[in-house]
Amino acid sequence: MASVAPPARTPFARVSRDIIGALWAPEWRYRAVMGVLVVILSWAGFAWVYQIKTGMGTAGISHPVMWGVYITNFVFWVGIAHSGTLISAILYLTRSGWRTTINRAAEAMTIFAVMTAGLFPLIHLGRIWYFYFLAPYPNQRFLWPNFRSPLIWDFFAISTYFTISLLFWYSGLIPDMATIRDRMKGVTGRMARFKEKVYGALSLGWAGSDSQWKNYRRMYLYMAAIATPLVLSVHSVVSWDFAMAIVPGWHSTIFAPYFVAGAIFSGIAMVITLSVPFRWALGLEDYINEYHYDNMAKLMLLTSLIVGYAYIAEYFMAWYSGDAMEWESFRWRAVGAYSGPFWIMMTCNVLIPLLCFARRIRRSIMSMFIISIFVNIGMWYERFVIIVTSLAHEYEPGVWGLYTPTWVELSITAGSFAWFLFWFMIFAKTLPAISITEVKESMAEGYWKPGDKKEDS
Amino acid sequence: MSEIKRRDFLKVLGLSGAGASLAGCTQEQGHKLIPYLVRPEEIIPGIPNWYASVCRECPAGCGTHVKVREGRPIKVEGNPDHPVNAGRLCARGQASLQGTYNPDRITGPLFRFEGELQPISWDDAEAMLTERLNSLMAAGDENRLFLFTDSSVNSLDRLFDTWMDAIGSTNRVIYESFDVEPLREANRLTFGQAEIPRYDFDGADLVLSFGAGFLETWISPVQYTRLFSRSQSFRDGHKGRFIHVGPRLSLTGTNADEWVQAAPGSAMLLALAMTRVLVAAGHAGDRAGAIRPLVEPFTSERVAESTGVDVETIERVALEFAEAPTSLALPPGVEMADRNATATHVAVNLLNYAAGNVGRTVRFGPNVMRRRSASIDRLTEAVAAMSSGGVDIALIHGNDPVHTLPSAMGFADALESVGLVVAFASYLDETAAAADLILPDHTPLESWGDQQPEVGVFGLMQPTINPLYDTRQVGDVLISVASNIGGAVAGRFQWPDYQTYLRDEWRAVHRDFAPREDFEEFWRGAVSRGGVWRDVGTQQVTLNRAVSGVDFDEPTLYGDDTTPFALLTYPSQNLYDGRGANRPWLQELPDPVTKAVWNSWVELHPDTAEQLGVETGDMLQVTSPQGSVNAPAFVYWGIRPDTVAIPIGQGHASYGRYAQGVGVSPLALLPGASDAASGSHAWLSTRVSLSLVERGNHLVTTQGSHDDLDREIAQIVPFAAAAEAEELAQEEIRQHPDALVETSEDADPKSPYRWGMAIDLSSCVGCSACVTACYAENNLPIVGEELIGQGREMSWLRLQSFYKHVDEGGHGDEHGGEAQPEALHNGNGDSSALHVVHQPMMCQHCGNAPCEPVCPVYATYHSPEGLNVQVYNRCVGTRYCSNNCPYKARRFEWFDYEFPYPLNLQLNPDVTVREKGVMEKCTFCVQRISAAKNTANVDGRDVADGEAMPACAQTCPAEAIVFGNLRDPTSRVSQAARSGRAYHVLSELNTRPAITYLKEVARESGEA
Repeated sequence: MASVAPPARTPFARVSRDIIGALWAPEWRYRAVMGVLVVILSWAGFAWVYQIKTGMGTAGISHPVMWGVYITNFVFWVGIAHSGTLISAILYLTRSGWRTTINRAAEAMTIFAVMTAGLFPLIHLGRIWYFYFLAPYPNQRFLWPNFRSPLIWDFFAISTYFTISLLFWYSGLIPDMATIRDRMKGVTGRMARFKEKVYGALSLGWAGSDSQWKNYRRMYLYMAAIATPLVLSVHSVVSWDFAMAIVPGWHSTIFAPYFVAGAIFSGIAMVITLSVPFRWALGLEDYINEYHYDNMAKLMLLTSLIVGYAYIAEYFMAWYSGDAMEWESFRWRAVGAYSGPFWIMMTCNVLIPLLCFARRIRRSIMSMFIISIFVNIGMWYERFVIIVTSLAHEYEPGVWGLYTPTWVELSITAGSFAWFLFWFMIFAKTLPAISITEVKESMAEGYWKPGDKKEDS
Repeated sequence: MSEIKRRDFLKVLGLSGAGASLAGCTQEQGHKLIPYLVRPEEIIPGIPNWYASVCRECPAGCGTHVKVREGRPIKVEGNPDHPVNAGRLCARGQASLQGTYNPDRITGPLFRFEGELQPISWDDAEAMLTERLNSLMAAGDENRLFLFTDSSVNSLDRLFDTWMDAIGSTNRVIYESFDVEPLREANRLTFGQAEIPRYDFDGADLVLSFGAGFLETWISPVQYTRLFSRSQSFRDGHKGRFIHVGPRLSLTGTNADEWVQAAPGSAMLLALAMTRVLVAAGHAGDRAGAIRPLVEPFTSERVAESTGVDVETIERVALEFAEAPTSLALPPGVEMADRNATATHVAVNLLNYAAGNVGRTVRFGPNVMRRRSASIDRLTEAVAAMSSGGVDIALIHGNDPVHTLPSAMGFADALESVGLVVAFASYLDETAAAADLILPDHTPLESWGDQQPEVGVFGLMQPTINPLYDTRQVGDVLISVASNIGGAVAGRFQWPDYQTYLRDEWRAVHRDFAPREDFEEFWRGAVSRGGVWRDVGTQQVTLNRAVSGVDFDEPTLYGDDTTPFALLTYPSQNLYDGRGANRPWLQELPDPVTKAVWNSWVELHPDTAEQLGVETGDMLQVTSPQGSVNAPAFVYWGIRPDTVAIPIGQGHASYGRYAQGVGVSPLALLPGASDAASGSHAWLSTRVSLSLVERGNHLVTTQGSHDDLDREIAQIVPFAAAAEAEELAQEEIRQHPDALVETSEDADPKSPYRWGMAIDLSSCVGCSACVTACYAENNLPIVGEELIGQGREMSWLRLQSFYKHVDEGGHGDEHGGEAQPEALHNGNGDSSALHVVHQPMMCQHCGNAPCEPVCPVYATYHSPEGLNVQVYNRCVGTRYCSNNCPYKARRFEWFDYEFPYPLNLQLNPDVTVREKGVMEKCTFCVQRISAAKNTANVDGRDVADGEAMPACAQTCPAEAIVFGNLRDPTSRVSQAARSGRAYHVLSELNTRPAITYLKEVARESGEA
């Protein structure tokens, strides 16, 4: 495969070589990881089939806690899906140059996270074999879904988000895929011909002409403009699944901004978590370095502060409103049966990210990796706390109850991570993980070049 | 070549279409629907037939109407004309269906051969019995035949007597586990009447109970509940007062306005002291002279010392009792029956007599009919006879002595020495499991029969289904065996079968009731009405001289310093003496007090629990001088610290899949002591010690918290506030008789109906009959203890109880939501000031239902008649509706549940059996509403008030639930919804519920 990555004679050629070079030759480490992922996925698949066959009772959810880990996972993965579009669209519009090396991976993460999140509403359906009742399809009985239900809003919000994210990601890929197609021209072998055909087809006849570039840039800008409001809307709608209900602990106007901030927070954390092993495994240390982590850390710190503010505001409102049921719900959240998850959430989401105020920590990749893992855990627990503690301790004290997930739920949760990573691994070996085009643009503009850690971020 | 003709084409099309739809509809094997070729005259498919009968689940003898669809009884309801229960039925009565459809029924005669029970033919079985009887008679050993039966008064009972007489044996042992012999004996001693009188609760302004569980199991609970709620619930500005005296708040006790926490076994002294106070205050009138010498030694001071009740309380209660316009004192009943039970009953008689209640609220004449139950001595004799090999044949019908007698008496061992034990049992209970020959009887729903529960009441039973199995009615067996024996014995049994015998027996009733009427006519009328009855006049009684000989000794309990707690064993409301344990509905029905299911438990006071370091759910060992059992603890403020209580009914070693191995039987702890005067079993006779075996959650209960945290879910008001509010409300109704309540708007403007319900918490006693009625009507599955522990019970209707304080302002107490549960659970709260509010909670059919907008597929929506409807076929199971239901009234099908054959035959064909993944909830029995509307449509009118009635309202013995049309201002529900006590649960959420609750009312001492 050496022929694929000939010695680079110019810095630009080096960029192409480094990035495209990462695509080939899946080694034993890759195969081993994929093997583990497939095993976990199969186990989760078995658990799901078992649940469908036996009934939802195989999950720990019960009266009164009718939603549990599945919806927690749903919200968690939708949250993860947020950073991608944020980095690609909003930071693009605000001309934040540091985004160029991480936006491709973040966008891929978005797509795969939505693909993961989208499974959970199905997994949690009591009668999944009638899932199509949720879609507005014409039928002779004139039965439509209930457009007043936040779950239907979810259906539209998430499918829209997925479509736009996919198109946006794809349009960013077009010039890069043309680059790969062109690289394949010099290579012999049936596989190379096949790849040339596939990448050729996917690059839609990209020739790199001036007019193509002109139209392409304009389209990309518009796509970014279209995608930007979605970043805010999708998680707002997801938050309304809760805020529109009258459950104490859910029924709150702060939910939309609070959830959006939380989603970006968790999304950035996931980008950090994934990019650290990813840059190392693909040998892209020069492309994603302290400069980028510093910037991501700042974004994470900002959203962490917003989320922390929201936590405090919720408590304040529960107290200030004088609503005994609301207050009891929040009191119990902190000191009741689920105080463990609550304090994990507080520690991971509010206290630990405060470390990012220190520049040294922001620019320490290992520290950021560890902090980001805490944030991921904390954000998962945040959703768990919101969903489970509120339902467990509602209006009617006579029917308070507790919830513990079963092996089925835990297997499917593990499976969701395997599912997400499985796609991400495939992405890492089939598509350029860093936007070749945008890196070269940065270099051409003299803004940044690979290996530059830019002390003055 | 043959072309396809149009007709053929259509045929093929039709066939393949039908085939495709059939194949698509079901994953299970196809069921055959066979039309009636010649339809029986009285059966129209889809239309139920109703047959009158008598409930035989306990000795009370309530009249029933059995709903039969296509040959299968699917629901049992009270017979509205019957004088005992007036159309109402308890949970056990509802569950009688599961007796007939029990999957563990004995399907044919069995004979023990080489240690195993083997099937045998009826001919062989009867021949064997005949042969054994013949050899007995030939040897002149007729008295080596024993017959054990229950104490019902009926034709079968007379047949037993005739049969035993014909054989020549005098050893008929009538045995009832919960007998009332101390009462009968006390009445003989006090009034010269060895009878069980009628208690007119409805005429009693003040009810003073010394412990009888009259709302649960005592004598005739459905009747008593109805009469009790007539006087003790708040009606028309009046409410009686109920004072419960005793060591434990039973379900009956939880309905009291005041609880006097008396030490176990102190009822006699308290009754005597109160009588003394009453006489001394001059309330006994000319009766004082006879009573004074009897009660003179029992001064309040002396009694206060040994009973734990202070002098002030004794005197106050006594005077309240005396000064009430009408009053009624009730004896200790079964659970408080100690070794001086008769004397205690005499003491209560004296109290009633002194207060002038005898002849007014305690009426002799319309007496309860029971055969006299054998004394413990007689049973001990029988056991001794059997153990010593003095019994060749023991026939057992209608009870399970191996399980219901104290193990210490050794009945089970004694049976082993009997030559031939014959059980006429429908199920393999402990006694049947020890039998050599089992001749399974029909269940009551399959049988002809009768029952005379009271003087002047003759209930008649008819079969409602062909026998499911190869069973034979015991009467038929006896007649057939008698004719096999031949000779003089056969001569006395000329009837071809039991049915003919029964008709002949009823000729006497016919002569008595309607001698001029044609017998056939009379018989047909009696069968269709469920019997005949008439009012019986009150018989005046006077104090008997024998009463002066009664020994008022303080009862003692077995045990010593190592056994600090008095053991109270009480009949389980759900399982009675254990006979209900194989009915899964009754196992699944939470105990009305503890809300525990599928188990036994030890109730202990929070202080006791603290001393022992025990929490609810920890496994305890309870040890008495006789033995020990292990059961989980239930920490309960409603029991004295010196007492522990265990329900009777569980702990079956046999008796089918639902009963076997569930819980423990406290009978293993009892010495089998008896009451000195009557010989009846002294249930309260021993002391026990407790020790912790294992920590953990060994007890499943269905209620989270019994404290509603001032959320005003269950509301209680003082009597004065209720009366005042009621006056204003009635004035409002008088001024605006046609006004409708606001929630009547929540339906299609064109609809004549907005269905609604009103539940009077001051009437509701918490018996939970409504819950089981709902299970029966709506095909609710049984899930078992483990799943209930996970919160997966399927009950659409739950009976929750909240412990509340009453304050002057008419609201719940104000001392904060957090402190109260702590106070309740560690015993720091003043538990005697707590009131228990029982509250049936189900779907509120909100006009502005939170569940409706959140369903993504419109599976739940608002019907034009205001019902909140659940469309099972449309439901995909997001469970969002349940999350958003503040009442948590929705239930989800977590699995596909089984109805093992033949329990599936009970399923109501008008109600869908739901599959897994579907949400469901109370429908207000929409199928019953539809049926009522159909009837009304045929007649071209609107549904009349009371015509549509959900199963819960239909069966409620307390008449607490009213259902009807909120758009009709004259309907009972509209009137009730305008009551001064009306409120909606969580009304601040603006859900606009169709169910109006009427607040519980507490009448404190001195309030009138």
